[in-house]
Amino acid sequence: MSWRNVGVVYRKELTDSLRDRRTVISMIVVPILVMPIFTIGLGVLSVLLVGRAMLEVPKVMVLGGERSPSVLAALHALPDIRIVPARPDYAQEISGKAIRVAVAIPPDFDAAVSRGDAATVRIFMFQGELKSGFAANRMQKFLADYRVRIVRERLQKRALPARLADPFSIEEQNVAPPEKVSGALIGGLVPYFVILLCLTGAMYPAIDLTAGEKERGTIETILCSPVSRLHLVLGKFFMVLTASLFSGLLAILSMSMTFLAGKKILEHLSSANNWASSLAVSPKAALWVFLMIVPLAVLLSAALLTIAVFAKSYKEAQSYLSPLTIFVILPAIVSMLPGVEINARLALIPVLSTSLISSEIVAGTYHWNYIVLIFVSSCVYAAAALALAIRMFQREDVLFRT
Amino acid sequence: MPAAPLISVRALSKQFRTYRRREGLWGGIQNLFHREHQYVTAVDRVSFSIERGEMVGYIGPNGAGKSTTIKMLTGILVPSSGEIVINQFVPWRQRTAYVKTIGVVFGQRTQLWWDIAVIESFKLLRRIYDVSQRDFDDRMEKFNTVLGIRDYLHTPVRKLSLGERMRCDLAAALLHNPPLLFLDEPTIGLDVVAKDHIRQFLRAINQTFRTTVLLTTHDLDDIEELCSRLMIIDHGRVLYDGPLAALKQKLLRTKVVKFAVRDSEQAARVAALSREGLELAQVDDLTYRIRFDRARISTADLIRQILACAEVRDLLIEDEPIEEIVKRIYAGGALQEVSA
Repeated sequence: MSWRNVGVVYRKELTDSLRDRRTVISMIVVPILVMPIFTIGLGVLSVLLVGRAMLEVPKVMVLGGERSPSVLAALHALPDIRIVPARPDYAQEISGKAIRVAVAIPPDFDAAVSRGDAATVRIFMFQGELKSGFAANRMQKFLADYRVRIVRERLQKRALPARLADPFSIEEQNVAPPEKVSGALIGGLVPYFVILLCLTGAMYPAIDLTAGEKERGTIETILCSPVSRLHLVLGKFFMVLTASLFSGLLAILSMSMTFLAGKKILEHLSSANNWASSLAVSPKAALWVFLMIVPLAVLLSAALLTIAVFAKSYKEAQSYLSPLTIFVILPAIVSMLPGVEINARLALIPVLSTSLISSEIVAGTYHWNYIVLIFVSSCVYAAAALALAIRMFQREDVLFRT
Repeated sequence: MPAAPLISVRALSKQFRTYRRREGLWGGIQNLFHREHQYVTAVDRVSFSIERGEMVGYIGPNGAGKSTTIKMLTGILVPSSGEIVINQFVPWRQRTAYVKTIGVVFGQRTQLWWDIAVIESFKLLRRIYDVSQRDFDDRMEKFNTVLGIRDYLHTPVRKLSLGERMRCDLAAALLHNPPLLFLDEPTIGLDVVAKDHIRQFLRAINQTFRTTVLLTTHDLDDIEELCSRLMIIDHGRVLYDGPLAALKQKLLRTKVVKFAVRDSEQAARVAALSREGLELAQVDDLTYRIRFDRARISTADLIRQILACAEVRDLLIEDEPIEEIVKRIYAGGALQEVSA
C-alpha cells in the first residue's frame, strides 16, 4: 500500500476540483449561505405574513342579536374589527374568505343574561386558516372580557369582592436550560442541514471524478498510468470526503454564526428575555456533531462514488444520484417528527441515527452509550460502502460501460 | 539464443457482454423486465510479434478492434483469452510496473490537465512515474528543442490548439523515457503542418532511441511515411501483417498515367487510345488521365502507344492510392488473393 500514490491522486483531484466552479459553489458557497438565507428569509417571511395577518382588520358578521342592544353596542365599539351586515350564507362567506368569522348571538341574549339563564354564543370560523383564527381569537377574547365584565357588575351589585370570580392566577415559566430550549427549537434543523450539505457538497466532485472523467475520455489515460486502481479510487474517495466534510464543517460554523447573530439582533430589539435569546449551538455541541458526521460523510462519499462510477456521463450520474438525495432527506425529516426519539433499534439506521443523536447533542444531552453505538455502526456502514466503491473500480465492465 | 521479441501476442481474444436492445416503445418496455445478454467478440485470436525498434501501423475500419487491442496491450483491459508478453511483463498482471516501461497517447483524449498549465501536468507525471528531477529537467530541455513546446508550457491545456496539445501529449508520454510507445490515432484532426511535425518527431525518436512504436490510424499517409510494417485488422481478426511495399505489390490493381499534349490537333488523336481494360478521361483541354488494369495492360506498352499517337509534352505515372487498396480490403475479399 503506497500512500504516496494515493496522495498524488488526491492532490491532483483537489487542485482540479478547486478550479471547477460547480464544485466550489456546492462545497463552499452554498454551505456558508444556506443557513443565513434560510433563517433570515424564513424569519422575514413569517414576520411579514403573520404581521400582515395580525394587522388586518377582520370582517365580522353578527348574526341575530336583535333586542340585545348592549352586546351589539359593545361589539360595534371594538376598533379593530369591521362589522358587516348579516346574511344567511355566512358559512360560504367564511369558506370563501369574504369574511373571517361570524358571531351568532341567541335571541333575547341580554335578557337571558340578566335573568341568569344559560345562553351560548357561537363563533363560526374557518378551521386552520390563519386570518380566520386570529379573528376567532379576537372574538373569544372580546366575549371572555364581556363575561368578566358582567360577573364583576354582579359582584359589585351584591357588594362582594372582585377576587371571588378570579381566585387565583396562572403563570408559565421555563425551567429548561437555554441549550435544551434551543435544542428543542432548532435541534432537528441543525443535523438536517448539515447532513444534506455533506451530501450536496460531495455530489459534484463525485460525479466529476468518475462519470466526468469518463465523459472527457481521461479515464483511459489515468488507468494507463502506474497508479494502481486501489490508489486511484482511494485518492478520489479522499477528495470527495474532503468536499463532504468541508461542506459539513462550513454548514455547522455558518449555522452557529447565524444563531449567534440572530440572538444578538433579538436581544438588541427587545430587552425581554424571550425564547429567541436562547437560540445557540455551543462550540462543544458543534464539535461533537461534526465528529458524529465524519463516519456518515465517509458513507455518503463512498456511496456517491459507487453510484457515479456506473454512469457514462455527467447527466446520467446526476439522474442516478437524485434518488439518493431522497434517501438522505427522508430519515433526516423523520428525525424531526414529534415523538421520534433515539433508541437502540433506530441507532442502527444510518442517517436517521446520526440525525437523532445530533439533535440530542445540540440540546445538550449526551447519551454516551448511543453516541458510541451510532459512531461504531456508522463506521461499519462506511467501511462497507468504501469496500464496495473499491470493488467497482476494479470491474472493467463498470469502468468501460458502453 | 535469439533475443525474444519486444511484443509477443498469442491467440489474443476479448469478448464483451452486451445487452440486446429491442426496438420501439414496446421493445423498450420489454427491455425493462427482461434483458438478453449477447457476447460480442471485439478481438478474435490475434497473434503477432514486434521486434525492438520497429514502427508498426495498426489499421482497420471503425469498430475493427484496434482500440480494444491497444487497451489490452497497455494493461487497461484484461484479455478474455490468449497471451501477451511485452518486455517480459504480462501487462494486465504486472500493470503498474509494466506501464513505467511504455508511453501511451490517445489522439482523441489527453492525459494533460484540462484547466491547468501544461507544466503542472508534467510535474504531476514526474511524481507518478518517479522520474528524478535531473532526468526530468534534461528531458524537458530536449522536448523544448525538438517539439518546441516551451512557448506554451504555462498555458492551460484548453487554450492550446490540437497540434500544440498533441506535442505536449507526446512529451508527457515520453517523460519517463519508455522504450515502447503506443499511439492511438496520433494525427487525428491535425492540419497538414502539424501532422508533418508529429511524424518528423516520431521518426526522430525511433531513429535516435530505437523506440518501438505501435500506432493506429485512419490516415494512411502516417503509415506510408512512418511504418515499414502494416497490420490490418477487421472484425477482430488480423487480415494482413507484413511490409507495406509487399501489400502494394500484391494488391495494386490499377495504375494511372497523366499526360498533356501539345495542341488541340494532337488532342483529337488521343481518343484512338480507348480500348478495354482502360479508362480514359479528359482532365482539361489538353490534359488526359488514363486508369488501367496492370494485369491486362503493361505500363511500357501503354506509354509506347501514347507516345506513338500524339506529341506528348508532359507525362506522369502514379500508383493507385493506398486508400483505394485498403478500401477494397475493408470491403472484403481483396486479401484472399494474398493470404499465402
